[in-house]
Amino acid sequence: MAITSVNFKGFNIKNPIMTASGTYGYNDEYDDFIDVSSLGAIVTKAISLKPREGNKHNRITETKAGMINSIGLENVGIEKFLTDKLPVLKKKNIEFVINIAGSTIEEYIELAKKCETNKIKAIELNVSCPNVKAGCLEFGTDENSLYELVSQVRKEFTGFLIVKLTPNVTSIEKLGLVAQNAGADAVSAINTLKGVSIKFNYFNGRFNKTIVQGGYSGSGIKPVAISAVYRLSKVIDIPIIGIGGIETLEDVLEFFAAGADAVQVGTANFTHPEIAGKLVRELEEYIIKNGFKDLEELKKKLRK
Amino acid sequence: MSDTKNKKIYKAKVAAIEKVTQSSFYIELKCENPVEVKAGQFVSIYCGGLTLRRPFSVFTNNNGNIGILFKERGKGTEYIKSLKVGDIVDLIGPFGNSFDIKNKKSLLIGAGIGVAPISYLKEKLDKNGITNTFAAGFLTKNEVPQKINIDKIYTDDGSIGEKGSIIDYLEKLIQEIDPEIIYACGPHIVLKTVADLGIKYNIETQVAMEKVMACSIGVCRGCVIDVIKDGKTVNASVCKDGPVFKGNEVVWQ
Repeated sequence: MAITSVNFKGFNIKNPIMTASGTYGYNDEYDDFIDVSSLGAIVTKAISLKPREGNKHNRITETKAGMINSIGLENVGIEKFLTDKLPVLKKKNIEFVINIAGSTIEEYIELAKKCETNKIKAIELNVSCPNVKAGCLEFGTDENSLYELVSQVRKEFTGFLIVKLTPNVTSIEKLGLVAQNAGADAVSAINTLKGVSIKFNYFNGRFNKTIVQGGYSGSGIKPVAISAVYRLSKVIDIPIIGIGGIETLEDVLEFFAAGADAVQVGTANFTHPEIAGKLVRELEEYIIKNGFKDLEELKKKLRK
Repeated sequence: MSDTKNKKIYKAKVAAIEKVTQSSFYIELKCENPVEVKAGQFVSIYCGGLTLRRPFSVFTNNNGNIGILFKERGKGTEYIKSLKVGDIVDLIGPFGNSFDIKNKKSLLIGAGIGVAPISYLKEKLDKNGITNTFAAGFLTKNEVPQKINIDKIYTDDGSIGEKGSIIDYLEKLIQEIDPEIIYACGPHIVLKTVADLGIKYNIETQVAMEKVMACSIGVCRGCVIDVIKDGKTVNASVCKDGPVFKGNEVVWQ
């Protein structure tokens, strides 16, 4: 067993560095930059029952310390994923989590069933995408809907069940508790924050504007994410996977200190496509250099 | 292990940087390994702490010395402009498809900074002995980069070449030159006009598009445009499916 391994219930990964949904596709594109199989796991781009075209254009814009996206869950759909993408992940020996998104409870259940049938080890319920009209975020912001959704999915899926929480609520702790009580094996936090950017230039007597309304991500959201993980860790017992603005090993350690058991790297993959692999190496070196027995000991000391 | 995998990451050294017109600059980046670049492909540069890399069409490539042309438009290009000879740049690429070069009489259209990939394309056409005419439009004489071998110049103020926007001369150019294929890069309106005229005169057109990008490699789906494939409107990413598209396949907004 590697010194960096993380033992989740029925889902053991070789290290705690994962990549966040929507920033890693289904892995292929990163082959030119790193050995993707060296990562703890990748989380796939959100997958829905039917393919989705996503939102209309001007989908991204840069902000100070990050970016706003409004992709709208464009994806190939579960069937194409299972036939085209899944065999590649398996062949390359890449550990993965399927992020699933639906508009109704029935859609989530159908997706969970397909994952169960195909012996998928782990899924992440996307109940927090701010960029689609129906479903998703609605489930993630309402305690009753979230309980209903997670418990229904739990009945269909025996693998490792992660619920991805949104920060766009008053109390993320309450939603985390609901996920736990409904049978989730872990929560991941946070998804993007709601953001709007209006860029303009004055030309020929009028303002030309580019408005992007969507999810804010990147280094600017890290304190919000650390706060979410910190507060969640006080009230829930299931593992927490920290997400939000991770760019360096120090960021990873800060999430561990706040109570995270693993982390997902998101927007930084766009800026530095090799970053996740680099963090895996740096974390291992850090553990060895400082004489920790393993990752677990490092986490314990960080939380003391 | 990782080094053999990193085939698209380069620590490049600035070999030259100079102002080439009143508002544009040329920078030459010496990559650690010589890299082959097709006309129309781009590289993405990390700009000192900014989240999004900035994509630039390749303008010249001599044994891994990649040259690009850029205008100062915002924080990213402000950073690149500030670089000095010898500075190290974090560059990834080349990315994207490329112009699909045909052995046909070619008309090359470049407008503004869009002349960069077209000039590189012309180099390749000339090397292959393909007959071509390079027509380019600019605002004024001081915006015409010196290092480019242009056959016909148009300026809005008439300070050099013919007076007026290249858009207004496109149809006449097509009639005069009678090209079998047109390649173009420049502002949206120029590309749309080229595409429309291509349809009118039944000439193949290839246009290099531009869009704000996050990942540069087709992952994030941030830079998609609408294109027609098999009679249906679908998304295509400018970074991976493009940046070069057939003019008659783009759904022009």
